[in-house]
Amino acid sequence: MKPTVEVVHAASDLSSWMSGVCTEVKKLSSDVSSLLERNLAGKSKAGKAVLKGLDEYPRDFLTKNSYAAGAGTFFAVETIEEGVPALDWWARKEHGTIGRLDLDMTPGSSRYYDYEKLPFFSTAASTGEQSVWGPYVDFLGFEEYILTFAAPLSVHGRFTGVAACDIRIRDLEPLIMPTLRAIPGDAALVNASNRVILGNSGLYLVGERIKSDVPDQHRMALDVPHLGLSLIFAV
Amino acid sequence: MASPSSIQSQIYRSLPEIERADAIVDRITKAIGLGLLKVGERLPPEAALSEMFGVGGATLREALGELRERGIVETRRGRSGGTFVLNQPRTQKDVIRDWFLSTSISEIRDIGDEHSAIAATTVRLACERAEAHDFERLQELARALILADTPEVRAPADSRFHIELAIAAQSPRLANAEIRLQEETVQQLWTPLTVAFDPEQATAEHLELVRAVAQDQPEKAQNLILEHIRRNIFHLIDQKLTLGYAQSNQDGQ
Repeated sequence: MKPTVEVVHAASDLSSWMSGVCTEVKKLSSDVSSLLERNLAGKSKAGKAVLKGLDEYPRDFLTKNSYAAGAGTFFAVETIEEGVPALDWWARKEHGTIGRLDLDMTPGSSRYYDYEKLPFFSTAASTGEQSVWGPYVDFLGFEEYILTFAAPLSVHGRFTGVAACDIRIRDLEPLIMPTLRAIPGDAALVNASNRVILGNSGLYLVGERIKSDVPDQHRMALDVPHLGLSLIFAV
Repeated sequence: MASPSSIQSQIYRSLPEIERADAIVDRITKAIGLGLLKVGERLPPEAALSEMFGVGGATLREALGELRERGIVETRRGRSGGTFVLNQPRTQKDVIRDWFLSTSISEIRDIGDEHSAIAATTVRLACERAEAHDFERLQELARALILADTPEVRAPADSRFHIELAIAAQSPRLANAEIRLQEETVQQLWTPLTVAFDPEQATAEHLELVRAVAQDQPEKAQNLILEHIRRNIFHLIDQKLTLGYAQSNQDGQ
C-alpha cells in the first residue's frame, strides 16, 4: 500500500520537527563536550572547576526551545570526581523561570534516581547514537509523563555522559497534532517499541502499544536516524 | 490531592535545604533517643546551632519547628529562654502503633477497597502496555524484597515494586494514586509490631504477577493482585485486632 500524499506530507513534517530537536540536543552535547575538552587540560576526571559555566548551555537551550520542559547533562559516574554532582539538569518552572532540578543521587536511598540504568542513558552509552525514549512516567526524576531526547557526550572520543531534553507529552500534543490531523484516516506517531506517542483519533491512544499484525494498518518510517520513529496509518 | 501539579510542587521544593533540615531533625532526635541530650536540657542558641550545623537561619528554624511540632522540644521566651528538650522522641514503632489504635477496621478495609480498584486497572493496563524492559525491571524489584533483610528496607522495596507496576502501565495518575496508597500503609505492613509479615510469600506473589504481566494475561494478573492486596489487608486487620482489642480478648476469656 502506497502512503497517500497527506501521509507523506505529515511524515516529512514530523521528521523535520524531530530532526530539529535532535540538532538542538546534539548542539547542547557538543557545547558541553567543548567546554570539558577546554577545561580538563589532560585530567581524566572532571571536577568542580572543569564544570564551571556548564549551566549556561541548558539554560540557553530552554530559553531558545520553548517546547522543552527540561534540559541538561548526565555524566557517567566514572568520568567525574567524587563529590561533584553527576547531573546538571534545568527545568522550566511555574511562571516560566528556569531553575535547577535536584535529584536524589545517593545509591541505596529510597528515592535514588539511578539514571545510568535508564534507557535514555544506557542507549546512548551502548550505541553512541542519538535516541528518543518515551512516553514514560519519569518517577523520581521530573515526575511527569514525558519524552526524552538524548545525545551521547564524548570528550576526546571517550563516552562521558549524555546531553538530553525532556518534552512533556501534553506540551508535545498541540505542537504535532495539527500535522497528524491533516491525515484523513486514523494515524499515529509511534516509537521504536510500537508505543503510541500521539494519535490523531481515539483509535491510537498515547502510551498504548499497537499490534503490528493488524490488517489495513500501514507504516511509514520517519527519516530521522536512530530514533526508530514511524507513522502508523489505517486505510 | 494526587494531581500532577501537586507532584510538581513536591519537586520544586528546595530539596537540598529540606534534606538539611531533615538531617538536623534526625540528628537531634537520635541524640535524645540515645540519651546524649537529656529531657530538660537546653540546646545551644540558634545562632550557634546554625553555625555548627553549617546551615542558614531559615533551615535551622525549619528543623526546630519540626521538632516542636513533634513535641520533642519547646522554645521558651525571656531571659532564661531558649530551646529545651521536652520529651523522648517517639519511635517509628510508636507512630505505627498509634495508627493501628486510631484506625478502625472499616477504614482499613476501605483502604483495601480503594487499593483493589486502583491495582486491578493498573495490572490490566500493564499487561497491555509494558514491554520487555519493564518486565526485567519489575523482576529485579520483586527480588529486591527478598534480598532486603530488615523491615526498614522491606517497606520501601515493597512499595517500589507496586509504584513501578503503575509506571509500566504508563499512567501518571495511577502511579500517583499508588504512591499515595503505599505511603499510607506500607510501613504498617512491614513494621513487626506483633507478627512479622512474610517477605518470602510477598516476593513469590510479586514474581508470579510479573510473569502474568509479561505473558499478557490480564485476568490472571488481576486475580493475583486482588488476592495479594486482600492478604495485605488481612494482615493489617489482624495487627489491628491484636493491638487494639487485646484487652477485650482477655476480658472475654
